Amino acid sequence: MRLEIIQKLSEIVGKDNLYTELEDLYCYTYDASFVKADFKKDLAGVAVYPSNTEEVAQIIKLANQEMIPVVPRGAGTNVSGGTISVGDCIILVLKRMNKILEIDGKNLIAVVEPGVITGQLQSEVERIGLFYPPDPASQAFSTMGGNVAECAGGPRGVKYGVTRDYVIGLEAVLPTGEVINTGGRTIKNVTGYDMTKLFTGSEGTLCVITKIIVKLIPLPEAKSTMMAVFSEIVQACETVSEIIATGLVPCSLELLDNIYIRNIEEYAKVGLPTEAGAVLLIEVDGDSEILAKQIGKIEKICSQLGAVQIRVAKTKEEAEELWRARRSAFAAVSRLRPTIIGEDATVPRSSIPAAVNRIQEIAAKYNIIVAVLGHAGDGNLHATILTDETDQEEMARVEKAIDEIFIATVELGGSLSGEHGIGRAKSKFITIQTGEVGLEVQRQIKQALDPNNILNPGVMFGA
Amino acid sequence: MDSSLESWQKEVIRCIRCGACQNVCPVFKELQAESTVARGRVKLIRGVISKDLDLTDGFIDKMSLCLMCKACVVNCPSGVKVDKLVEAARKEIAKKKGLSPLKMLIFRLVLKNRWVFNAGMRTGRIFQGLVFRKGSNGQGMLPRMSLGIDKRRLLSPLAQKPFKSMYPEVVKVPEATMRIAFFTGCMINYIYTDTGRAVINVLNQNGVEVVIPSLQNCCGTPVRINGDYETAKTMAKANIDVFLKEKVDAVVVACGTCGLSLKEEYAELLKDDPNYVEKAKKLGSMVKDFTELVVSLEGFEGKMGRLPVKVTYHDPCHLIRGLKVKEQPRQIIRSIPGVIFEEMTKADTCCGSGGSFSLYHYELSTKINDHKVESVHKTGAEILATGCSACRMHIEDGLNRQGNPVKVMHTAQLLEMAYQAGANPSPVKHDKGKGRKNLE
Ligand SMILES: Cc1cc2nc3c(=O)[nH]c(=O)nc-3n(C[C@H](O)[C@H](O)[C@H](O)COP(=O)(O)OP(=O)(O)OC[C@H]3O[C@@H](n4cnc5c(N)ncnc54)[C@H](O)[C@@H]3O)c2cc1C
Ligand code: SF4
Ligand code: SF4
Repeated sequence: MRLEIIQKLSEIVGKDNLYTELEDLYCYTYDASFVKADFKKDLAGVAVYPSNTEEVAQIIKLANQEMIPVVPRGAGTNVSGGTISVGDCIILVLKRMNKILEIDGKNLIAVVEPGVITGQLQSEVERIGLFYPPDPASQAFSTMGGNVAECAGGPRGVKYGVTRDYVIGLEAVLPTGEVINTGGRTIKNVTGYDMTKLFTGSEGTLCVITKIIVKLIPLPEAKSTMMAVFSEIVQACETVSEIIATGLVPCSLELLDNIYIRNIEEYAKVGLPTEAGAVLLIEVDGDSEILAKQIGKIEKICSQLGAVQIRVAKTKEEAEELWRARRSAFAAVSRLRPTIIGEDATVPRSSIPAAVNRIQEIAAKYNIIVAVLGHAGDGNLHATILTDETDQEEMARVEKAIDEIFIATVELGGSLSGEHGIGRAKSKFITIQTGEVGLEVQRQIKQALDPNNILNPGVMFGA
Repeated sequence: MDSSLESWQKEVIRCIRCGACQNVCPVFKELQAESTVARGRVKLIRGVISKDLDLTDGFIDKMSLCLMCKACVVNCPSGVKVDKLVEAARKEIAKKKGLSPLKMLIFRLVLKNRWVFNAGMRTGRIFQGLVFRKGSNGQGMLPRMSLGIDKRRLLSPLAQKPFKSMYPEVVKVPEATMRIAFFTGCMINYIYTDTGRAVINVLNQNGVEVVIPSLQNCCGTPVRINGDYETAKTMAKANIDVFLKEKVDAVVVACGTCGLSLKEEYAELLKDDPNYVEKAKKLGSMVKDFTELVVSLEGFEGKMGRLPVKVTYHDPCHLIRGLKVKEQPRQIIRSIPGVIFEEMTKADTCCGSGGSFSLYHYELSTKINDHKVESVHKTGAEILATGCSACRMHIEDGLNRQGNPVKVMHTAQLLEMAYQAGANPSPVKHDKGKGRKNLE
């Protein structure tokens, strides 16, 4: 990076909020994805940590003038390569903009800066009896800006929806450096195109989000948790469909396959039958009077469809114990092989058994281990590939398998990514989903907003 | 030997770069740069192993920015041993680049040779005279020379007499029910002799005979975590020999860092020495924190009087995440009649001391410490109990800076106060005293 640019950036953010040392920049060549940066070619020129919208705008203006690529970054926990440095670029980290600006209990909204940690917003609003439901598993450390840019979701998605369903307004800096306000503080708003929704999930390619207005809902009074064990994964999937067809809407419906069950049991000793084909972890929430009735109905459906074991938590501690199984899933399988790759194909709920089947076939074909864990309620399957990245021959097979899983997903009427985004990891597959026309329209939108292609180049549309 | 940095390849690839450590790393909380969180450190080490990076000054600086607090380790979904990786990197640095001048002086000359250390500490020539000078307020010691450490770092004054010289090698009690060896550690021996005295008084009153082997050394952790393995090994072996000679039921520590070192790390350090590794394991199996031993003593609560004070507790990193001692000190504090125990928020977050970290990065360690002081302050407690002298010194320093009158002491001292309030005659000293002078 040219010295004068660094000088100017330093004037904007202050010299303490700017990094140029090799060792610092080396740490922006990765995120939580498996996209590999070539350190010699991809090392960033500078990393800056602005503290307000004005600074962001100045940085972007400078970058646009000088045609320097900018990679916006929150906590760097995305799993699609969206924050990896791309050569002599500016890494724009929003973590210092971390204030909750407003929690408005009367209008049920919150206004936050992009660097606020999602879990922090959640505990703040819950303190006054409100609820911000989107719950990516990374909620304790990922940022609101990153969540909006990826349209993150989690187990509660089945009942409460995902980030997109809560964002009602944004302040953002466009690639030209101008500041735009979209949406607003009202739930109803049809003034012009819905830019808020366009920017939500835009993966840092259209704008830098500097302020987020989200709607909140009242915190459900109580929760009830149960676990059902099935000998066949198909039975578990049928159960999911049946529960939803009956009009019951649990707030979580998590599915674990046999590989997960065996490893969790070995690791955490929670009393799962290791020969079981699948486990469903089900949680309902709402008024305490109706919970028992709901759980009762779900219990009945589970046993009708062949559950071999059902456990309903009677206390908070018991519920916690059931969730412990789910939460230790990751640590449990990570003991098996050193490298874990989590994919996130999503299929229509009814296709879950078929999708699991296809995944198992593909795993067998390439002789690799793929475990399946899913937010079964919304068809979001996390195919977890357990491998060893130092074994190049195996990694080549893994890559082929991943390609096939993507194609199978789309064939089953599903989506390439439920919540993890396209980033740099899946950009070559985007047309199998959007089609050529779809891609072209998106390209034109990008071109209109970012004529110099400075914002996160390579993400979504490929290099 | 396979303890080269390369041998850690298997450990570094276990980091899946999930970023969960951002939520718990105290250094990252202050600095926010990706290179200062566990994930960044692991990546940098990986970079050196794969030869992307060299052992540059930048790398050395990043490696020095770790408190070895293990917060990331217990929180990591893959259980990556980040502190061990940083230690391995520091060892590589020490091997290839040598230690910095101050570290050289302290590690090689002073800590290793008990007699130099003792003589130096006693006469005040080496430590207080040569390296440190008195602070302007006349209490603390400020480093004298520019040795790559922050000059403002206040150290507590050294004790008049080292702890070990105040007691016979065996502190006997009539009809002892148990005999233990006390590993004092440096800070109790040279600075906080009041903690050592409390340990002995409390154990004696419970019928425990205490052996204080005079030939014991520093545990070696300060040199090991800074990469000087050869010195660390020499010290470990000396301690192993000294303690295995004693016929005792347990080896008691009053510091989590020393404890972890004796209990687990000696065996790791000496893993290539077939003779000593077994001895290290044997010693390890005998190690108990003071609070662990106390709660196992029947009737330890019976001797307490009332202490109408509000107390809070800070978990030392190596005590809670190393020795896994969490409930025992709380159980002791709660069992004292009259004490109101108020848990602070984030009691188990590092106080920012991190051994020599606070010497090298004083400013930063002060910022980390401010959060701790704030948590202590919010509880409204009059006494902060903890289980480590380094934490005690660092938090005391922070409280002083903010003019906060909270008293900081080891859990053993609080218990000693409770026993004195119970007016039980102490079997060793201060027989009929009201006990106050025993405390200051
Ligand atoms: C262990 C683990 C579990 C996960 N679980 C889930 C899950 O359950 N559900 C889920 O949806 N995801 C999950 N993720 C993925 C990831 O956490 C989410 O994508 C999250 O939203 C990323 O947030 P971040 O702050 O880390 O953003 P980053 O990774 O830093 O950035 C993500 C993208 O957003 C862009 N960006 C960031 N901030 C801004 C901004 N202010 N303005 C414009 N663009 C911006 C970046 O350029 C990048 O393209 C998980 C990840 C991990 C490691
Ligand atoms: S929590 Fe562990 S696995 Fe995750 S990034 Fe940190 S060190 Fe790596
Ligand atoms: S040991 Fe402590 S300071 Fe070091 S990386 Fe882990 S959490 Fe951070």
